[in-house]
Amino acid sequence: MAMLETKQLSFTYPDQKQPALDNVSLSVEPGEFVILCGQSGSGKSTLLRLIKREIAPHGKKEGDLFYKGQPLEKTPPLKVSKKIGFVFQDPENQIVMDQVFDELIFGMQNIGMETDEMRKRIAEITHFFGIHHLLKKETHVLSGGQMQMINLASILLMEPEILLLDEPTAHLDPIAAKDFLHIVGRMNREFGMTVIMVEHRLEDVLSFADRLIVLEEGRILKDGPVRQVINQLSDEKNHTFSYLPAPVQLYFHYSTNKQVEEIPLTIREGKKWVQQLNVRLREIPKKSVSRKQTIYSLENVDFRYEKRGDNILKACHLSVQEGEWLAIVGANGTGKSTLLKVMAGILRPQRGWVKVNGKMLRGTIPEIGYVPQNPKLLFSSDTIYEELSNQIPINNRDKGRKKLTELITFFNLESLLNRHPYDISGGEMQKVAIASVLLSSPKILLLDEPTRGLDPTAKRELGTLLKKLQEQNMTIVTITHDIEYAASFADRCAMMFQGAITVQSPTEEFFKGNHFYTTMINRMTRGSNVPEVITVEEAKEKWDLEEE
Amino acid sequence: MDYGFRNYHPLTNFIYYIFTFLLIMLSQHPFFLFFTAIFMIFLNYLLDRGRQLRRWGKFVITLIFLFIIITPLINHRGSIILFYVLDKPITFEAILQGVINALTLFSVVALFFTFSFVINGEKLLFLFSKYFPNWALLTMLSVRFVPLFKRRLEEIRRVQQTKGDAHERSIKRRLKHGLLLIQILLTWSLEDGIQTADSMAARGYGLRKRSRYIRYKIEKKDMVLIILMSYFTGISIWGWFLGDNILTIFPILEPYFLQGREWFFFTNFIFLIGLPLLIEGKDAFKWLCWKRNN
Amino acid sequence: MGFGGRMKKGKIEMLAIFFLLTCLLLLFTLFFHHHYMLTSVVFLTLTFIPFFIRFEKKNGSGRELVVLAILAAVASVSRIPFASIPSVQPMTFVIIMTGAVFGIESGFVVGALSAIVSNFFLYQGPWTVWQMYAWGLVGILAGLLKQTFFIETAIGRVIFGIVTGFLFSWIMNIWVVLTMVQNFSIEQVLVFYASSFPFDLSHALSNAFFLLVFAKRWISILTRFQKKYGLLE
Repeated sequence: MAMLETKQLSFTYPDQKQPALDNVSLSVEPGEFVILCGQSGSGKSTLLRLIKREIAPHGKKEGDLFYKGQPLEKTPPLKVSKKIGFVFQDPENQIVMDQVFDELIFGMQNIGMETDEMRKRIAEITHFFGIHHLLKKETHVLSGGQMQMINLASILLMEPEILLLDEPTAHLDPIAAKDFLHIVGRMNREFGMTVIMVEHRLEDVLSFADRLIVLEEGRILKDGPVRQVINQLSDEKNHTFSYLPAPVQLYFHYSTNKQVEEIPLTIREGKKWVQQLNVRLREIPKKSVSRKQTIYSLENVDFRYEKRGDNILKACHLSVQEGEWLAIVGANGTGKSTLLKVMAGILRPQRGWVKVNGKMLRGTIPEIGYVPQNPKLLFSSDTIYEELSNQIPINNRDKGRKKLTELITFFNLESLLNRHPYDISGGEMQKVAIASVLLSSPKILLLDEPTRGLDPTAKRELGTLLKKLQEQNMTIVTITHDIEYAASFADRCAMMFQGAITVQSPTEEFFKGNHFYTTMINRMTRGSNVPEVITVEEAKEKWDLEEE
Repeated sequence: MDYGFRNYHPLTNFIYYIFTFLLIMLSQHPFFLFFTAIFMIFLNYLLDRGRQLRRWGKFVITLIFLFIIITPLINHRGSIILFYVLDKPITFEAILQGVINALTLFSVVALFFTFSFVINGEKLLFLFSKYFPNWALLTMLSVRFVPLFKRRLEEIRRVQQTKGDAHERSIKRRLKHGLLLIQILLTWSLEDGIQTADSMAARGYGLRKRSRYIRYKIEKKDMVLIILMSYFTGISIWGWFLGDNILTIFPILEPYFLQGREWFFFTNFIFLIGLPLLIEGKDAFKWLCWKRNN
Repeated sequence: MGFGGRMKKGKIEMLAIFFLLTCLLLLFTLFFHHHYMLTSVVFLTLTFIPFFIRFEKKNGSGRELVVLAILAAVASVSRIPFASIPSVQPMTFVIIMTGAVFGIESGFVVGALSAIVSNFFLYQGPWTVWQMYAWGLVGILAGLLKQTFFIETAIGRVIFGIVTGFLFSWIMNIWVVLTMVQNFSIEQVLVFYASSFPFDLSHALSNAFFLLVFAKRWISILTRFQKKYGLLE
């Protein structure tokens, strides 16, 4: 009997003509690990929420949902509440309690469990997760990854049979994301838990999953075993191609003899396949790199938040050339965000200096535009149009208005102008935030983690837009966890470690010089018989396949 | 901190504070209050080495002197006139009254310092969650948001700086700017709060009555202490009823040194106030013995 | 919150309770001359119980609970940006806005809760109870005057802001007088009130200023939110 089944399920939000879900029929067997993917607005979150009855959206629903052969509506509420668990995207917002321990028992208290039973289950889960050291902490001191672990643990304590996860790693750094997915994979393998996960970061989950479902405009586009579905997405012209992990993309581009079982889901499989290739390096005329002027320079910068606190930045040196795109990468807690705030003039260093165009930076200046990690904290108006027009500098109204019209076209914001800044998608929010910062005509744009939580299409769009800005001689500095993104777009990369920049070099050199902190394609091609590359694009540019 | 007074059930601790607060308010006698104040200083030192007390020391001492000085300046009742200030008599009784007020103030403040060491928020909520589970949950939720909001507010402040208006000097501008930050915080947090609410619903909130996680159990030692405290308090209230716990100042000052029966009530009173000190001392002594034998 | 058709009845009920209790407080203070502190503590506890129980008995949704918690937490951190300006803090303003949009009971709950929460990180003591009472009362008043002259018009808001500003400060002064000063005379009380007047005035004026400048915006933010999520209506 299927664990979960939907039959001709359709759903339309109030005041919307287009249905969010259109005739979705699928059946999930016990113990299956299913990945749902698709663009934002494809209905994947709606589907997931409809399965979790307590948080189902309001609107018009047609069709049926079955849990173990029984209509979901008729299953007792307490039972479904226990048996279907849900992990949300934002690690921090899901937390309800001040203390980790209280957070863990929250769900169990809701279903009226006795103290002794709660104690027993907590003891078990603590061992399984290895979270003894967190039990006595307050929730707000945890890192994003730890928070998400606690959220998962709190749900597992209710002993669910089905685990629903809505982009659970979108806000985590790559290491924390891997740890999290690993635990979910273990729950599936070792306990046979049924898992349905919405996820964009396919590279880390494909090897765990049994089945991949692609949604588009509320319909099921593809549904089947992972490799088969991937094989069906192999058409490069289709936008769904960008969902595939880089090794898979490389495989489809170069494999002469495509075989479903051979599609590389892990680096190991990729390496094996790459060995079969016979590649000659194409001669590419070296691009003449014109020495540009240094626009930013940081010398010996120290910064700490508290008088007696640790230095977050320690003797940090960095220089940025005019018109380049610099990506600052590095793990969480290495001081990346602090560095960007120092560069924006928001924080003043205790030691050392920051120079912009040869002038000392003291406080914020109009030449520098800063976009924070969470664009929400920029917004204070009811509509996007109002939000943007409030940002027009007072001294030059006419020019500002002209600029506003240009930016609206550039970022394609026409249809959003009357919406509330909170009612749009993450990618759109990011664009509005950048547009509002650009209104004061900065020369340098500082972006803190701009791709966090965006789907691959939105990421690509943002990247292309920023590239266009760069062509207009904008200097761009981004902080990012997303190595693949940095590798595809940035001109230069810098690695942050313990409050200082350890390496900074042109992107290609940077990743080829790293052993662990590098792109998948680089890990796959390094030390193999094919020329080392870091992205699919680079391979396309440099590789010539020799027929055997 | 699993020893001493704090190792008792929160209810036991709570009862101590209610009784002590009550008795401080009732026993308006400098002799009683002086010893209370001393005991409170000791207790503060035992529980957090007096750090809190020292931090607020200047403020508290200023207040005490203000009371001692201001009371006789306003209050001119009493028969023992010491001297005149601006043709107004300064009486011994009024000074005494000032001292009593100052000692009361000090004792109450010092008592509630120790209150927050002994009964932290979590214990307080545990106590109230029995009768007011909804309120307790609401409080916990709200408390959980505070550190998050502080951080958000700081982020908002820093980022809004980049939009200018940061170095406004006029009060009006500062007020406007400050409240704008709060407004952004409000909008942002309300929107994100929906996710918190969904996360509660997803874990079955509201389906049935929540159970309570019983972290503390009333043990025999708690019962013993509660009975002791009730006994001391009962006797003290009787003493108050007889007027032995109070120094009558107006209209006629009674002898301010303790006499006869008053000693009995004083001893009884001091036992109640000093219970936590006794317990802390006992546990420290036990630890010493254990260490020596190892 | 959740008044709906019972709005009128709820309002009258609350008013009656409050009126009765305020009379009781005055009577107590007049007749039981000596043990002001004791009577007032007993009295405050008694006042709270009906309100407390009313909220306790409700089966509010998670969303309602979260919104109330957020409002109280926002109120508690709202004094941070004003730390450098003495006795200016917008807590009273946040509580008034809550009452003015979500009604009497939410106003009371957020008022009382803000007091608990803002003391949570400092020191709990008898003053917490007094603050709960004072801010709870402010919330109730705002809820009562919801959509009337006092909230809708600029002059009304200024008056309301000044009155509630002083109301809060004066209630808190009562607690100080009752606790710290034994055998007090009217002059003493007056001197005390006079000495705190500049602070109380500054609180009242800033409160009125916030209401004058920001009330409309805040009401629209809260109302949008209330509609979007169908809350506390």
